Amino acid sequence: MKSMLAIALFACAIAASSAAMQCNQTPLDMPMQWKDMQESCVDKVKQQIGEELKASMQYLAMGAHFSDYQINRPGFAKMFFESASEERDHAIKLISYLLMRGELRQDVSNLIKKKYTPAATTWASGMEALKDALALEASVTKKIRDVVKVCEDDERFNDYHLVDYLTGEFLEEQYKGQREIAGRISTLGKMMSKHSALGEFLYDKKLLS
Amino acid sequence: MKVFVALSVLCVAIATAQAEYNQYCYQSVAKACVSTSKSEGKIDCSARYGGIDGVLSDLQKYVNTHITRSYEFLLMSTHYANYEKNRAGFEKLLRGYSDEKWNNAIELIKYISKRGGRMDFNKVKLFNKTEDYNVVYEMNEIETLAMALDIEKDMAHDANKIHSEASHKNNDHYDPEVLQYIEEEFAERQAESIRTLAGHTTDLKKLLSGPDSSLALYLFDEMLQK
Repeated sequence: MKSMLAIALFACAIAASSAAMQCNQTPLDMPMQWKDMQESCVDKVKQQIGEELKASMQYLAMGAHFSDYQINRPGFAKMFFESASEERDHAIKLISYLLMRGELRQDVSNLIKKKYTPAATTWASGMEALKDALALEASVTKKIRDVVKVCEDDERFNDYHLVDYLTGEFLEEQYKGQREIAGRISTLGKMMSKHSALGEFLYDKKLLS
Repeated sequence: MKVFVALSVLCVAIATAQAEYNQYCYQSVAKACVSTSKSEGKIDCSARYGGIDGVLSDLQKYVNTHITRSYEFLLMSTHYANYEKNRAGFEKLLRGYSDEKWNNAIELIKYISKRGGRMDFNKVKLFNKTEDYNVVYEMNEIETLAMALDIEKDMAHDANKIHSEASHKNNDHYDPEVLQYIEEEFAERQAESIRTLAGHTTDLKKLLSGPDSSLALYLFDEMLQK
């Protein structure tokens, strides 16, 4: 009887062990020389990812403000919502770049926060918001330049490729974007010089088209 | 002066005649039309009606939940894109959820404004601390699917809560337009993604119990890429 029980238990144990899922794979031993990004540079890029997400939240708040029926500037809202998604795309582009260089193999969970709170949520006018947007872009540009500095000044390793990517893709977009906003501020300002209510109303419709 | 008095009397007369239908907006506009000072000339023409006040705070929280979840899915997706995991299918699946949450957040903000509300970025849902705040997003494949399923269900639950608040016909919060919006934009799609994820976990559970889980995961990931 005892042996029967033992056999039954053994059979159960086998059944249980074969039913258990094999969920994890053991990592392979592989060469690491190809991973050549320096830690200080990686940290700086990671920081920039947070900056881009912060900017995206700021634009989201602008979009929300101009959607309010008491403000009712759908053109401005549309423009700012688009900018919010663009900033998010920048963050994702930087993540993809780090992944391409073999980074972010671990400690991914702390890469971005759960919540970025917008610094401002109301604006007195469309003009005010455009000026804030231009200042925000200028500060992002400066921060990208700081990343470039850290990544090329490293004595052990000048990260030519990242620096080329940042200047060619990111700074290019920053400068073009800044010029666009500056042009808008200028046009809107001239339209509003004599007819401020009408100027903003018409310019909003223009942004919508 | 006489003309002015006559006009204002006329305005007030029209205002009282219409009062039953457009009580606040019309009266305040009519008053503003005859007022001489700017402060008296305030108009009160809100876009709010129906039961929006009853669900506004939950809608605001729902926006913030969407943003947080979009970040979480982005991190989960990032994990699968590193050279060691190298699972393009999982990356694509999770990135899709991240994009969807982000876009829904924007659409929800627009919806709140459509119904006369204003987004409040400080209104946040309280997550169960142990469950949600100490999560590490570097999981294995089946754990990731399980987590994604739980998140989707949690978000569907939030949508249901908003729906139920707006469906009580006997209180002031009854709002068929909110019901319609939740059903059309959330309910149907959530049912689909929950079913898809539940199906994926069933498949993986069977595959991982087989003799070669590495190969099974490789093939499953290939399937997700399509």
